[in-house]
Amino acid sequence: MTDAIVTPLTQALAEGKLSRAELKSFMQRSDAPAFRRLAIWVLVLVATTTLITLAWNSWLIWPAMFVHGVVLVHHFSLQHECVHYTVFRTRWLNDLVGQICGLIIILPHRFFRYEHCDHHTYTQTAGDDPELISLPQSLGAYLWYLTAIPYWRGKFTEVFRHASGNLNAVEKRFIPKVEHAAVFRDARMMLGVYGVLLLGSILTGWSGLIWYWFIPLILGEPVMRFIRMTEHVGRPTVPQMSENTRTNLVSAPWRFLCWNMNFHAEHHYVASVPFHALPRLHEKLKDHIFVEPGGYLAAHRDILRQILRRPDTSGA
Amino acid sequence: MAAEKPWRDVIDADALEKNWVTRVDVGPRRLAIYDTPSGIYASLALCNHGGADLCDGYFDGHVIECPLHQGAFDVRDGKPVSAPATRNMRVFQARVHNGKVQLRL
Ligand code: FES
Repeated sequence: MTDAIVTPLTQALAEGKLSRAELKSFMQRSDAPAFRRLAIWVLVLVATTTLITLAWNSWLIWPAMFVHGVVLVHHFSLQHECVHYTVFRTRWLNDLVGQICGLIIILPHRFFRYEHCDHHTYTQTAGDDPELISLPQSLGAYLWYLTAIPYWRGKFTEVFRHASGNLNAVEKRFIPKVEHAAVFRDARMMLGVYGVLLLGSILTGWSGLIWYWFIPLILGEPVMRFIRMTEHVGRPTVPQMSENTRTNLVSAPWRFLCWNMNFHAEHHYVASVPFHALPRLHEKLKDHIFVEPGGYLAAHRDILRQILRRPDTSGA
Repeated sequence: MAAEKPWRDVIDADALEKNWVTRVDVGPRRLAIYDTPSGIYASLALCNHGGADLCDGYFDGHVIECPLHQGAFDVRDGKPVSAPATRNMRVFQARVHNGKVQLRL
């Protein structure tokens, strides 16, 4: 008998943490919850955009842009759900919305999809997990990561590398040959769209893109870095999903913004479960996973404790 | 012309999960049998992307989605529907005969 590979899901089923009938019910898809949430999402965006407009001629524009930016960077969470085809039951809607999110946060959708596959296969395995964020070696490195400067540097290098028809060795591992051209095309199209928007801004003299998009994105990204760190950083670098991933219990507004991705260990256990079913899956699996009841802040206290406890090996 | 492979009983039709995928082991092979609105279809059970068991995946209409990376295939002809699936999955002719699901393997 050719055996299937062992995954967190097959283990959960084999160990009786989850029955097949439960799995089936958790996986059911529907368009309605996504449309409802998206309607509120758009209203939130309208509200934060209005805040910027109202604060236009005062220093308050900076906090307004920050708040708007925090919402903008959470398009990552929506795009991430789309990568898993768990936002909409209608498959092409996931592709469409994922592409739009990617355009907002400068993350080509197809590329992210392939990269994310390896993140799920090799979660927290150094050298194999392309999304692994290492535990910073020092407080300075921790703060540097949170500025999001290293993140943007990596992202821009990545997009330009792909637009110029190149992949690095790690990318070649997870993107099949037949998709190389499409990945290059996506990056070029993305840069093309930005180019057209920039040109349009220059020609019309409208600076809105900068105040409603670029600066908020830059201001908001540290928050997304802060959140992304809570998913795995500081958890053991072992293959066991029950250990290597952290579920963070956070308040309703944060759950709304991150499309329930705070239930991260549950998501890694069964990536086919849509965002709206993750709270139910949490109830089922909570005794078998690592749960941080204190949410994002407590996760960072844990990360900082680990950083401050270890000797500084950064050489700085 | 090569002779057609014979039909082989693999499971009672009643034992299939309605509108879903059912796992069946036949000799050394693990197979996925799909009950769909347009009839019964069958494929190898292991995803050709990374070897996950499609029988634990999400099934909707004629599309089986892999539980590990959500790559997807059309079970009627095995064609890949979503990345990271890029190659056809192996499908088998299927029919229901005398209450049994039969496949040409
Ligand atoms: S193992 Fe099936 S899509 Fe990757």
